[in-house]
Amino acid sequence: MIACLLIPGFELRAALRKQPGLALRPAALSPVAGTEPVLGPVTAEAERLGVRPGMRLGEGLATCPELVLVEQDPAAAEQAWEEILRALEDTGFAVDPAAVGCVYFETRGVERLYGGLEPALRRALTAVGTAWDPRAGAAQRRFAALAAANVARPGQILVVSDERLRDFLAPLPLELVPMEPRRRAELHELGVKRVGQLAGLPGSAVAERLGPDGRRAWGLARGGKAARVRGRRPPAEIVEALQFPEAIANELTLRRAFGALVETLLARPERKGRFVRKLALSARLVGGGSWRRSATLRDPTTELDRIKAALGPKLAELPAPVLELRLELVELTEHDGQQLELLPTAGGELNVRLREGLRQVRASTGSGSVNQVVEVAPWSRIPEARALFVPRDD
Amino acid sequence: MVAHSGSARVVRAAGRLNAPRAAVVEARVDGTPVRVNRLAVEVVREEWRVVDRWWTEEPVSRRYFEVVLQSGENAVVFRDEEKACWFTQRGA
Repeated sequence: MIACLLIPGFELRAALRKQPGLALRPAALSPVAGTEPVLGPVTAEAERLGVRPGMRLGEGLATCPELVLVEQDPAAAEQAWEEILRALEDTGFAVDPAAVGCVYFETRGVERLYGGLEPALRRALTAVGTAWDPRAGAAQRRFAALAAANVARPGQILVVSDERLRDFLAPLPLELVPMEPRRRAELHELGVKRVGQLAGLPGSAVAERLGPDGRRAWGLARGGKAARVRGRRPPAEIVEALQFPEAIANELTLRRAFGALVETLLARPERKGRFVRKLALSARLVGGGSWRRSATLRDPTTELDRIKAALGPKLAELPAPVLELRLELVELTEHDGQQLELLPTAGGELNVRLREGLRQVRASTGSGSVNQVVEVAPWSRIPEARALFVPRDD
Repeated sequence: MVAHSGSARVVRAAGRLNAPRAAVVEARVDGTPVRVNRLAVEVVREEWRVVDRWWTEEPVSRRYFEVVLQSGENAVVFRDEEKACWFTQRGA
């Protein structure tokens, strides 16, 4: 069986961990600056007062004037989600996360361990913890498991067998099927509002009218393919963070600090010579929010310039001054072989000598003795505000 | 069971370069320093004021002096008007 564990409104729940009092008040996750002003997940109290996720900000505030907007905290959400995935992995489930708050896993391997499907799913829910209100669905197909988890109540397990799959999916709302909003609106105009209604249409007619996206949705409405779930490769989790004595907004300074972080991170012994495939940059912002961007490199590398080029430009998207910058190696390659260069790059030899010299200084004077100076505000009239020193123990 | 690769998180704190250091300064009535860290001031080479960040909760108001000490050392000292204390500082 394929199981789906779902925590609706995960980003909001993660952001509310810092201010738990808001969980009982009408609150909604505020939109990200620069995107369409629509509300994210909402609390039960906000829903009771008529506010719905996806509602336009103005409409939400008009419906419920006392609505509290909770700032997005993607780094906290990502961290909390990673903790949940690790708890599931520790319990024996090879997880395949689809998005933050939604994870799939195959139960076949652990059913015997826990004495059946339901005890295994119960174990998964316990591993996540009741505070998150997780719910689980299981079916032979991925989409059916997701639909079952969507229908289940908090803490409930819903198992759908293949025989009653069509009957189970038929009355569910069309919103459960992932598709372009334009296509969904088109189907609504045609009077198709339930999964069963879409599944009942001829496949060729759906493909002709709605294109490949509609055809895919039609396939899902009929249960979807019985694809296997592959467990993820646990992340490398090599993290390097830099705290600033005061909030930094200058992009040039942030780029320099980012460069120092990349160099330090690549030199970490835990990397064991492996290449970087995926890395993530996050920041703790002044005022309590956070920001996170990740990049998957087309060719795994350890080249400083390539990594800088992949993530550096994203620093321009920071919405507020930064108190802490954090870089993590999310995924590393298995191999550590490297094609040697025919001709060494200019300055390469000097770089190696400099590194060796610094290593010797560190060995004789101890950790924290080698620092890099990063200019923060060279124009400042206050001398100590002009530059920072960043410890280099690489 | 799924094996973890293990996590390795390191948080480093960036420090301020040229942070002020507390100094023992004897000054005249007009505020010019006479002795800095028990060394007599031979010459006051320059004097200037820095007033900044008055719009924040941590305003900066300093009276700087560049002096030559008895030992021949060049030093920069300032009186923090907010805290009423003396400091030496490099890089000023």
